[in-house]
Amino acid sequence: MKINNLELYNFRNYSKQEIVFGKGVNFLIGENGSGKTNLLEAIYFLSLAKSYKTNEVNLIKYNSRFSRIQSNVTVNDKLQKLKVIITEKGKKTLINDVEVKKLSNYIGAINVISFLPEDLTIIKGSPKDRRYFIDLMYGQIDRQYLKELTNYKILLKQRNELLKKLSDSNIQDFTLLDVITEQLADSADLIVNFRRNFISNANGYLKKMYRFLSDNNKSFVFEYKPSIEKDFESQFKSKYKNDLYLKTTSYGPHRDDYDFVIENVLAKDNASQGEQRIMVLALILAISEIVYEKYNERPIFLLDDVFSELDSVRQNKLIKYLTELEAQTIITTTGLENIEKTIITQSKVFKVQNNTIREESQNG
Amino acid sequence: MILPKAMEDLITEFMRFPGIGRKTAERYAMHVINNFSLETTETFGNAILNIKKQIHNCPNCGLITDRELCQVCEDDIRDESILMIVESSKDVFSIEKSGEFKGVYHVLNGVISPMDGKGPEDINLSTLWPRITDNRVKEVIIATSSTQEGETTALYINRVLKDVDILVSRIGYGVPVGLNLEYADDLTLSKAIENRKKL
Repeated sequence: MKINNLELYNFRNYSKQEIVFGKGVNFLIGENGSGKTNLLEAIYFLSLAKSYKTNEVNLIKYNSRFSRIQSNVTVNDKLQKLKVIITEKGKKTLINDVEVKKLSNYIGAINVISFLPEDLTIIKGSPKDRRYFIDLMYGQIDRQYLKELTNYKILLKQRNELLKKLSDSNIQDFTLLDVITEQLADSADLIVNFRRNFISNANGYLKKMYRFLSDNNKSFVFEYKPSIEKDFESQFKSKYKNDLYLKTTSYGPHRDDYDFVIENVLAKDNASQGEQRIMVLALILAISEIVYEKYNERPIFLLDDVFSELDSVRQNKLIKYLTELEAQTIITTTGLENIEKTIITQSKVFKVQNNTIREESQNG
Repeated sequence: MILPKAMEDLITEFMRFPGIGRKTAERYAMHVINNFSLETTETFGNAILNIKKQIHNCPNCGLITDRELCQVCEDDIRDESILMIVESSKDVFSIEKSGEFKGVYHVLNGVISPMDGKGPEDINLSTLWPRITDNRVKEVIIATSSTQEGETTALYINRVLKDVDILVSRIGYGVPVGLNLEYADDLTLSKAIENRKKL
């Protein structure tokens, strides 16, 4: 998968900007606040039809009525035109100028794998952060998972509303609760299986990626901790009293968690900033292998400020690896001082300054 | 400029219809002013008035009707041993068009959806149970849509009827007639395979 070019119109601080990317590694160099992250955000939005940041109206340039992101992409040697139009009323997604109304049919047209500074919170942050991260990554790889997740969320909402009603009104007829609980249990069973397979698949690559990036032989596992492991129906049903008291569904995939475990110790308790970065990067590279397994194509890597807290050896290692994968990569950084000349000559370098982008000569 | 009040009033009324915005409502109002005779306008107004005065739900099955009982319930040759449960009167009209069904209907006027504040007591179920237990009904076909809410409603009805000695079935969902398989989306296909039928 490659993004050949990107055209922005009234997106954040960009009035009008076109950028033609190279097929391999692309560096976006600029000071903090120069607008390089906004560019990554545009690509992210193009892929997932949502932002990783704030509310979507802010994406539209101040005093403009709409913004547009447009790109020619190559997927399986086929050229496609993707377009996203954002207005205050909402967003529109188009493939080859034909509107795609269902977002689940648009998401996945291109796969991006992103590394953002805020992704580091997945190690020490809340279970919610980890669930969000995995659902986002896996959701764009497997459409069936995305659909089941949507189904589960609706059923969960229905069940919670029903619990509120039953508990407030003292109705003792649980027929409807039984029915919705059984539907929820079926969906939960599917979701846990999806997640279990995905995580076990990722772990197959994780060790290798971690060893490669960290240069040590420590064992590293990403563990899936489902809230309910099996016998979903009976488990859900055994907690009626508790659920009615709390007026919410207290167990299930919406309470699942994941752990990063290094040498049998939880990483969230003692990993340093640098170690955390390596772990998340290893996970992202492992997930990209799953994308490759499924589509026989490399996803596009969006790496925001990935170099900070990595020493120069690791910086070069990472870039060399991505260059050899022939995976299109877009990296923002404040400078290339630590990167070997031979690598830079194989890459494309852009300077970002006051929200304008300029291509540098290749050996600059 | 400010429009005449009578025109503004009519525009506001037209805008109550689904899919009608300000512009279209203005066009409709202009059309009434320019092209409607007083007679046409009276007929039009009365038609709207009458629909609310005369149309009500059939006390037996819930289908909308302008008679005491609906056409289906009044019809002596309909097979009262087969009862089809649908979400809305519109579904009855569609099924009647196919001419395939000779039984009777029960119209729920909605589906169970707690998050929209709709429980079993809010859809037309209280009149359904006595119809089923009065011994004439031998088979119930649940034809709610294949959305999550439609599915929940079907499962709920099935659960309540589990101890009653009648046949309960769900209409089949899957590939539309005349559609080439390659154009069916994966979810529809898996539904169709799940609901396959012995030849």
